[in-house]
Amino acid sequence: MSELLIKNAVVYDPINKVNGEKMDIAVKDGKIVDSIGNGADVIDAAGRLVYPGGVDAHTHIAGSKVNIGRIMRPDDSRLNNKPRTKITRPYTGYTVPNVYAMGYGYAEMGYTTAFEAAIPILKARHTHEEFEEIPIIDKGGLTLFSSNWMVMDAIREDDLDRVAAYVAWGLEASRGWGVKIVNPGGGEAWGFGKNVAGLDDPVPNFEVTPRQIIRYLAEANEKLNLPHSIHLHCNNLGKPGNYTTTLETFDICKDIKPKRDRQAVHLTHIQFNSWGGNHWGDMESKGDEIAKYMNKNDHLTIDMGQLVFGSATTMTADGPVQYANAKLLKARWANGDVELEDASGVTPLSYHPESYIHGIMWAIGLELALLTEDPWKVLMTTDHPNGGPYVNYPDVVTLLMSKKKREEAMAKIADLTFERTSIATIDRELDWYDIAIKTRSAHSKILGMVEYGKGHLGVGADADIAIYDLKPDETDSTIEYEKVKAALRRAAYTIKDGAIVVKDGEITATPMGRTYWVKSTAPSDAHDRMMADLKMKFKNYYSVNFANYMVQDEYVHNPVIEECGYA
Amino acid sequence: MQKITLVPKEQFKISIEAETITPDNFAGKSAQDIGAMIAYEGNTPRPLSELFDITVDGSADAADVKIEINGNVARVKRIGEGMSAGEIVVNGDVDMRCGALMRGGSITVTGYADSWVGREMRGGEITVKGNAGFYVGAGYRGEPCGMTGGKITVFGNARDYVGEHLCGGEIIIKGNAGILPGVSNKGGKIIIEGDTDMPGSEMTKGTIIVKGTVTEMMPVYQNEGIETVDGVEYTKYVGDVTVDGVGELFVK
Repeated sequence: MSELLIKNAVVYDPINKVNGEKMDIAVKDGKIVDSIGNGADVIDAAGRLVYPGGVDAHTHIAGSKVNIGRIMRPDDSRLNNKPRTKITRPYTGYTVPNVYAMGYGYAEMGYTTAFEAAIPILKARHTHEEFEEIPIIDKGGLTLFSSNWMVMDAIREDDLDRVAAYVAWGLEASRGWGVKIVNPGGGEAWGFGKNVAGLDDPVPNFEVTPRQIIRYLAEANEKLNLPHSIHLHCNNLGKPGNYTTTLETFDICKDIKPKRDRQAVHLTHIQFNSWGGNHWGDMESKGDEIAKYMNKNDHLTIDMGQLVFGSATTMTADGPVQYANAKLLKARWANGDVELEDASGVTPLSYHPESYIHGIMWAIGLELALLTEDPWKVLMTTDHPNGGPYVNYPDVVTLLMSKKKREEAMAKIADLTFERTSIATIDRELDWYDIAIKTRSAHSKILGMVEYGKGHLGVGADADIAIYDLKPDETDSTIEYEKVKAALRRAAYTIKDGAIVVKDGEITATPMGRTYWVKSTAPSDAHDRMMADLKMKFKNYYSVNFANYMVQDEYVHNPVIEECGYA
Repeated sequence: MQKITLVPKEQFKISIEAETITPDNFAGKSAQDIGAMIAYEGNTPRPLSELFDITVDGSADAADVKIEINGNVARVKRIGEGMSAGEIVVNGDVDMRCGALMRGGSITVTGYADSWVGREMRGGEITVKGNAGFYVGAGYRGEPCGMTGGKITVFGNARDYVGEHLCGGEIIIKGNAGILPGVSNKGGKIIIEGDTDMPGSEMTKGTIIVKGTVTEMMPVYQNEGIETVDGVEYTKYVGDVTVDGVGELFVK
């Protein structure tokens, strides 16, 4: 296969502790190598910024709720339209792009890997059908276990091995990479028009609590030796005063001992869960409290869930919160019931700087990233498309890198925001090394993808490389944020597995990426107990047959399977 | 003053997407420049010179541009889309979405204007001397707001859903209107001089005045008694009460 040499690159590769070093990168057969022969193709980076290909550990790019978003938002599909070319299919949509544009958009920004953050097992086939058509990027997905009858019944009977056996089976059935927990117990309660109020509020008919669900799944996660930790969307999301629940949730996993070199729990889009006050009128930021906890504890990681002003399409397995949103905003609403597994909801909305509530949400995301000292603990995300579409990542990066940019943004935001947040007093400005961590390296580490060659440029890593049209030595990112944004939005080169897929911001090739999933095993006695219960549930409750349930191998293209055992 | 005359060279069988035909685009351009602009015929891009005979007289800013279209353009869509100034006169019928997203200037259609005339219009004026199709001044699929400013006058009849999702501006229908004019409107004013049916369902704000006969009222309005508007007595209704609306509906 081909060889490639990238000369004069200014490289930031935090996993290998390379901080802005001017060096050459050699690529052979899609991997980074020490050196190559003279016949290689050469790209002269000429002192420009070079990062490992971007990795997004939490985004909603595929599956039934993304498609519901598309169906309910014909207005969105008229935005960002681009006709087909000889290489690319047409682009449509801003918050919920069409399947092809999903891949093109990431690649244009130098991203090469993205993980879908919520796969209901029952609807996993749909997710993989979309994965099959998302070009260029590598994909994986996190499987929902939060309000699952199998999980809750096993917890009620205090059978941890059976929980683990079901998680192993569920990951295989959905071809998933990790355990996602959304508003634990809330999805089941929503079936009765209710929600769970807190960590110790029992789930109707199951008499298990959200605290138990989190705890058991975290332990099962380690028993199965999974590459990623549990990935948790806390209870009480989107309610003023929810930060106390969030802090309590942080504590639940404090004594979980991760089997691998990673966090015990990843808590996602914490911006939506860092709200103080008692109601909308006195809502305030508790981003500082959350950051204080993050600075004192090392067992957890979070991501921002940064808000971006403008149009968004919210979609989550948190059914009750979506009903509340739709009622409050008189917005369109789609409600989904995933039989024995969960609920879901989709609601389009728009974030306005004139609203202090939206202003506070905007500020909290930034506070979390800037007040938490260790950049490895807080990922840059917008919870695409809940906080805003992923195409705005470059804009979020400039907010993190430049106080001047933040001040410019703050001038347009409702004044009350700054009485209720500390964003105006924060001077920290992140550098290129921090941004590399927050946009690729930490994502890869948190997901357990480092050993798969993601998020770094060490020898043996996948040759997923982004070159941006910007010279870090000559660019003052604290002032020249427009230049930074433009460069990050359209990569000079995106290289995927050693092949150029983007040049000067335009797609030049559309290879298909891989899909990563995990095959784990539990002890056979626990597996047998679990299967007996599962077959009973299929017989009595599911609308589909057991034989038609599991995603078949035919649906998973270019699979990479992590096999891990029971400990 | 710049006057541009367009005459179609053929009877179009497939609809033409002609959003390039605006005073803003044509201002200061020669016949050759204009002829090189693209309109899609179905999915095929075609230069305007292949579709129209183009004559240009003078050169001016958009505000002083007048575009006159003579001949059959009943299959030409999106004429004047997004225009901000100047004038377009169509001597005949137009296809859908004429004057969509228009911000200023004026469009006159002497014949029939097909559906979505002035969709999501922001300002300016559209006059239709003949009849109009469905969704006059409405919001296209999924839009929270239709027209937000400007004025549309239809001298003939209009079909259903006049001013759906209307948020501002004014629509006057001199003839009759089909069912559900002003459905889901949140502002603006609709005046129907002829007859209509079930006006203003899901209305939260705005005004609808019907001078002719209302065949059937939606049962979601509160009768507020007799009120005089411009010297004419109407029965005033407020609603839609099912969505806590405060829209005003005047029926003779």
